[in-house]
Amino acid sequence: MKTLILSAIILLFGITSCNTGTKQNSTSSVTGNGTEQITAKAPSATASSTEGIIDSYIKLKNALTQDDDQDAAIAGKELIASLDSFDKSSLNEAQAKEYTDIYEDAREHAAHIGANAGNIKHQREHFETLSKDVYDLVKAVGGTQKLYYVNCPMYNDNKGANWLSEIKEIQNPYLGKQMPECGTVKEELN
Amino acid sequence: MSIRKKVLLSVLAVLLLIQFFQPKRNVNTKASKSDINNVYQVPDKVKAVLQRSCYDCHSNSTNYPWYSSIQPFGWVMASHIRKGKSELDFNRFGEYSPRRQKSKLKSIRESIKDNSMPLPSYTLIHQSAKLSNEQKNSIYKWLDNVQSTSLQ
Repeated sequence: MKTLILSAIILLFGITSCNTGTKQNSTSSVTGNGTEQITAKAPSATASSTEGIIDSYIKLKNALTQDDDQDAAIAGKELIASLDSFDKSSLNEAQAKEYTDIYEDAREHAAHIGANAGNIKHQREHFETLSKDVYDLVKAVGGTQKLYYVNCPMYNDNKGANWLSEIKEIQNPYLGKQMPECGTVKEELN
Repeated sequence: MSIRKKVLLSVLAVLLLIQFFQPKRNVNTKASKSDINNVYQVPDKVKAVLQRSCYDCHSNSTNYPWYSSIQPFGWVMASHIRKGKSELDFNRFGEYSPRRQKSKLKSIRESIKDNSMPLPSYTLIHQSAKLSNEQKNSIYKWLDNVQSTSLQ
C-alpha cells in the first residue's frame, strides 16, 4: 500500500510538473524568439534608424516572392528582433507615439508570420497589413534607403494589396511565382 | 496485490487527486467599458453569433461545459482560453489602438473565411458554434460596414 501511495504521489507530481512545464515552454518560446534573435541576428541598427526593420521586411518580402514559407518565417522572427531593438530615443514626441502604435501592430503580424511556416497564405494575409505598418513607419520616421510602394490589384479577389520594394522591378510577394510581375509602382520613398 | 492492480489503482488515485487542481474560471459578469459593443454598433444577430461561436475563448465570459470541471479537460480548456484571449478579446476591444482594431477586424474576416476559426477541434464538440453561410455573411456584412465607416 505504501508503494501505491508513493507511486500515486510521484505520478501526480509528474503530471502537474508536465503541466507547468509546457506552460513555461510556451512562454519561453514566445519571449525566446525575441531575445534569442536580438543577440543572434538583430541587424545593426544605428540610433533611431529604420534600416534594421526595413532590412528584415525586405528579406521577408523576398522570401514571399519565392513562395518560401520557411525563409519568410525566419525573416518574420528577425523582424520581431529588429522592431524590439529599434531605438526611439531620438524621435520627437509625435513620432514616438506613432512608432509605439505601429510597433504593437507590426510585432503581432511579424510573430504570426514567424509562427506560420507551412501556411504561406496566412503569412501573406499578415504581410499585407504589415506592409501598411512599415509604409507608415517610413513615412513618419523616414529612412535612408530608396523604396518603392507597389500595388497589385489582383490579390485577394481583386481587392488589391500593397508592398514595399527595394527595387523598381516588380516581384510580387502576394502571388509569388504564379504571377511574379503583377504590380505597378504607386509611390517612391526617400 | 498484482502489479496490474497496483498500476490501475494508482492511476485512479492520481485522477482523483488532480481533481483538486481546478483552474481559475474565466467568468466575469461585469460589463466592460472597452467591450466591442461600446466601440461599434453590433447588430443583435451578429452579437448572438459572436457570443455563441467566439466568446468562449475570446472574451471574459466562457460558457463552461460540464466536463470542464473534470481534469485534465479543464486544464486544456484553460490554456486554450488564455491563448485565445491573448490574440483577441472582444471584451477589451476598445483597449486596442485604432490601427490594431483594424488589424483584428481584418483577421476576424480572414480566419472565418479560411475556416481556421472557430477552431475545428472546438466545433467538433460544440456543434452549435459552427457558422452557417448565412451567419458568415452577416458577419462579413457587419465588418464591411464597420470598416468603411468607423476606421477611415
